Amino acid sequence: MTLLRSLSFRLVVLYLAVFAASAATIGGFLYWVEIAQPLAEVRSGIRAEAEALDEVYRREGPGGLAAALERRAARNAPRAPYHALLDASGEAVTANLPSWPGTFVPGWKRIEADVAREGDEDEYEALVLDRRLPGGERLLLGRDVDDIDELQERVGDTMLWIVPALLILGTLGGALMSRVIGKRLEAISDAALAVIDGDLSSRIEMRGASDDFDRLAATLNLMLERLERSLEAVRRVSDSVAHELRTPVARLQTTLAEFRDRPEREGISEALAEARRLQAAIDAVLRISRIEAGRHEIVRRPVPLSELLGDVAEYYQPEAEARDQVLETDIAPALTVEGDRDLLFQGFANLLDNAVKFTPSGGRIALSAAAEGALVRIEVRDSGPGIAPEYLGRMTERFFRAPGAEGVGGLGLGLSLVAAIAGAHGSRLAFASDAGLRVTWRLPRANA
Amino acid sequence: MHILLVEDDERISGFIARALREEGHVVDVAADGKTGLTRAASESYDVIVLDRMLPLLDGLKVLQALRAMDDHTPVLILSALGDSDERVRGLRAGGDDYLAKPFALDELVARVEVLGRRRSQLALPARLAFGDVVIDPVARVVSRGGKRIELTNREFRILEYLARNAGRVVTRSMLLEHVWDYNFDPQTNIIDQHVSRLRQKLDRLGSEPLIETVRGAGYSIRQPAS
Repeated sequence: MTLLRSLSFRLVVLYLAVFAASAATIGGFLYWVEIAQPLAEVRSGIRAEAEALDEVYRREGPGGLAAALERRAARNAPRAPYHALLDASGEAVTANLPSWPGTFVPGWKRIEADVAREGDEDEYEALVLDRRLPGGERLLLGRDVDDIDELQERVGDTMLWIVPALLILGTLGGALMSRVIGKRLEAISDAALAVIDGDLSSRIEMRGASDDFDRLAATLNLMLERLERSLEAVRRVSDSVAHELRTPVARLQTTLAEFRDRPEREGISEALAEARRLQAAIDAVLRISRIEAGRHEIVRRPVPLSELLGDVAEYYQPEAEARDQVLETDIAPALTVEGDRDLLFQGFANLLDNAVKFTPSGGRIALSAAAEGALVRIEVRDSGPGIAPEYLGRMTERFFRAPGAEGVGGLGLGLSLVAAIAGAHGSRLAFASDAGLRVTWRLPRANA
Repeated sequence: MHILLVEDDERISGFIARALREEGHVVDVAADGKTGLTRAASESYDVIVLDRMLPLLDGLKVLQALRAMDDHTPVLILSALGDSDERVRGLRAGGDDYLAKPFALDELVARVEVLGRRRSQLALPARLAFGDVVIDPVARVVSRGGKRIELTNREFRILEYLARNAGRVVTRSMLLEHVWDYNFDPQTNIIDQHVSRLRQKLDRLGSEPLIETVRGAGYSIRQPAS
């Protein structure tokens, strides 16, 4: 889940970065075409005018220049021309600029040119080139660039709100996208989890859109179907093998029993014990598969669980005492579950059987049960050696015996049976190994 | 006892018949359901051992037909189906006991004898005495040599069941079914610990051990010499 979340988060971040970069590119291009380029053109225009006017000054002197400037001002041009010619003492000879900086700094400057035009007092911005002429006069020569400035302002304003808007929309879009993808992925992961939990009939829901996810789901569903079919086949085979073995073993047993009182009886009773073990294994395997396959009809009746657990504990009490173990119980009263009382008894008996077998002399075993919302949590803990973490997941495998369990009797079917019983009651077993082994079984409470 | 065995597998019926005859019983064998029903209806038996799956007429049908004819001969059902629901179905159809195949012959013999006894001694004595041990099932009190012995409820029920079936072998699974009232498969013989505790309490006050172990089969209390 965290992986999924972080993947969609990364996608959103990437998406936003690309979004921001494209917005910046568009903004930059706009600035260059609409503002930087026209301003450069205005500058080179003014420079060309200045050169032409220099020529007039050289030929006709300051008077000629002033006349030329006034002619220029009177001409109607798309960009209003501005000028100010000051003599060496700083007195204005001719000017249509309303004001200028008193101190001379050569180069480009911006001057506000408030001009009354067609009766309206307007504020204009002029781009002005400030120069000194060879005779000591100062010439300010400029053009109106108010439209460009206005455009720049507007573009700036637009960027100011468009960027946050894009970011918000982008985030929303990204979140929506990751949610949609996340949901589809979740459907797949839910189905996978159900399969892990043992529900092989679980399938991924299709949207019917025949998009990539539906195609993936269809492929995975096909895979699950194959898996289910082959597992079912394996189960059927082992089931029928066990079934076929039953009758011969029964006959072997009765035949052997016939010879029990013969002189060779030592060997015979060994063989008989062997036949009984074989029979027990076959019966247990058959029983587990029947319960797992749902062929064992579970009798669903309210079961007084507190009493049943008390009975199980009482059943194992003498054995625990004989082994110098302390068997403690902490069972909340009046707990009721729905299910098959014989199977439940068998399940808890097997858990205690395991605990008693694997706990050394002087150890402790604790059986506890308490309500936990709509569930009952039953826990069996022992002070035995526990089990290595790598084997925890294999505890309920048929015939699985952890290394170190060689000296303890049993077939390795006890916990498989408990797991099958738990599954048949819509519950699961959880194993933990800290100080000894801890088995937790959560059963749905009966509606009481 | 006169016993009817209805079983189609000849080898199995041969073994069972021989084992029962060795115990001094008279055994008639029927190999299919129809013959079995005819036999049961025409003669009076003490116990009927009935296989669940039979040719011609299913074991449960035979049982239902018998009960419909108001025949209440104790019936022990044999079945390859060992599930608890299957067992419940058999008992509900009118069976008195149920034994899953494969079984130990001793188990079968013990159960047949207990079933037969149940019929012959319908009225049980209020007080059961075995030498110096006296059991009062009504007051739930046990004493030995006049001294009262404190037993747990479970221990009393074990003793009572053994006492009621005195002279017969009681197997471990019979004890589980009747004393614990749960039908389950004990993976280990935890039940032996319960019996050994009971024994300790009983024999503390007397020299003669009351409960005997029958090797490979179960437990027994000797019938008092009357």
